[in-house]
Amino acid sequence: MLKLMWALEDSAFAQWVAGAPTIWAYPSILTFHTVGMGIVVGASVVLDLRLLGVGPELPVSRLKVLFRPLWWGFWLNAVTGVVLFIAHAAEKYGQAVFYVKLALIAVALVTVVRIRREIFPEDESAPTHPITRKVKLLAVLSLILWAGAITAGRLMAYINLS
Amino acid sequence: MNQHLLPFYYWLESTALSHWVNRETQWLWPTMETLHFIGLSLLVGVAGFFDFRLLGALRGVPISAVKKFMPWALVGFGINLVTGILFFISQPRVYAANSAWWPKLAFIMIGGLNAMFFETAMGERLLRLGPDEDTPISFKIIGAVSLISWFGVLYFGRMLAFFGTQISGL
Repeated sequence: MLKLMWALEDSAFAQWVAGAPTIWAYPSILTFHTVGMGIVVGASVVLDLRLLGVGPELPVSRLKVLFRPLWWGFWLNAVTGVVLFIAHAAEKYGQAVFYVKLALIAVALVTVVRIRREIFPEDESAPTHPITRKVKLLAVLSLILWAGAITAGRLMAYINLS
Repeated sequence: MNQHLLPFYYWLESTALSHWVNRETQWLWPTMETLHFIGLSLLVGVAGFFDFRLLGALRGVPISAVKKFMPWALVGFGINLVTGILFFISQPRVYAANSAWWPKLAFIMIGGLNAMFFETAMGERLLRLGPDEDTPISFKIIGAVSLISWFGVLYFGRMLAFFGTQISGL
């Protein structure tokens, strides 16, 4: 597997991303990754805050609009994340904190999907379900998981276990 | 670098706070960076949500309800202001010599003044806007300026690591 990682890292594409002396390579991809983070976590935070009681005049039914930017941001980060990984494949492959980050993102997304299922009925025209204690707990969990994912992501620049 | 500000930078470097950040940098720097990213998400997410309503999107959402979220954008801004100042005073000359730092600061000013202008001059008009109503052109301009300036802050913040002298913690 590590051989494959080295091969990835040695590819012309990876070399360009990691080393091209232009801000359109690594710096811009990293910036898009950060923008995507702001969109995913930001949209999630607005959803969670509303469920926890902020801005009660905002109809819960309208919260559905948040899922589109959330998933757009996620896919932006999935793509830029893969590119950033390829650029330093062997190093990232060996970083435990990288897998912690991926796991936290996965669980956070599952939590977001569960929240959506809890509040929006399958029948589009039906009124939204009441915000139960369970939904509020999921909202708190989501906030903690995103903060954890950001922390793990940041620590990738500091903890090198390979 | 602006030579007139050099004495100020030297003074900042002599403060106990600057020494503290540099002494504890091993754990403090990653911690501050993480907080800076969390603050960024709060600010961009909440302010961006409000900006899109100002641009006329999210019809059916009462603008006054979206505004209730704004204190959380301010919390994000506050976290980033405090951590940002700590970053700066730990190595002021390195930041001042970085060509991404000044545009970042300029965009913070534009974004901040834009928000303050909106809050003071247009607050009342905002409350009269119905949930399904389109926004006036003035609101759209404010929303667009806000989105562009916070994106500019983020972009040049990221570029700090790639322009100019390497900052030790980055």
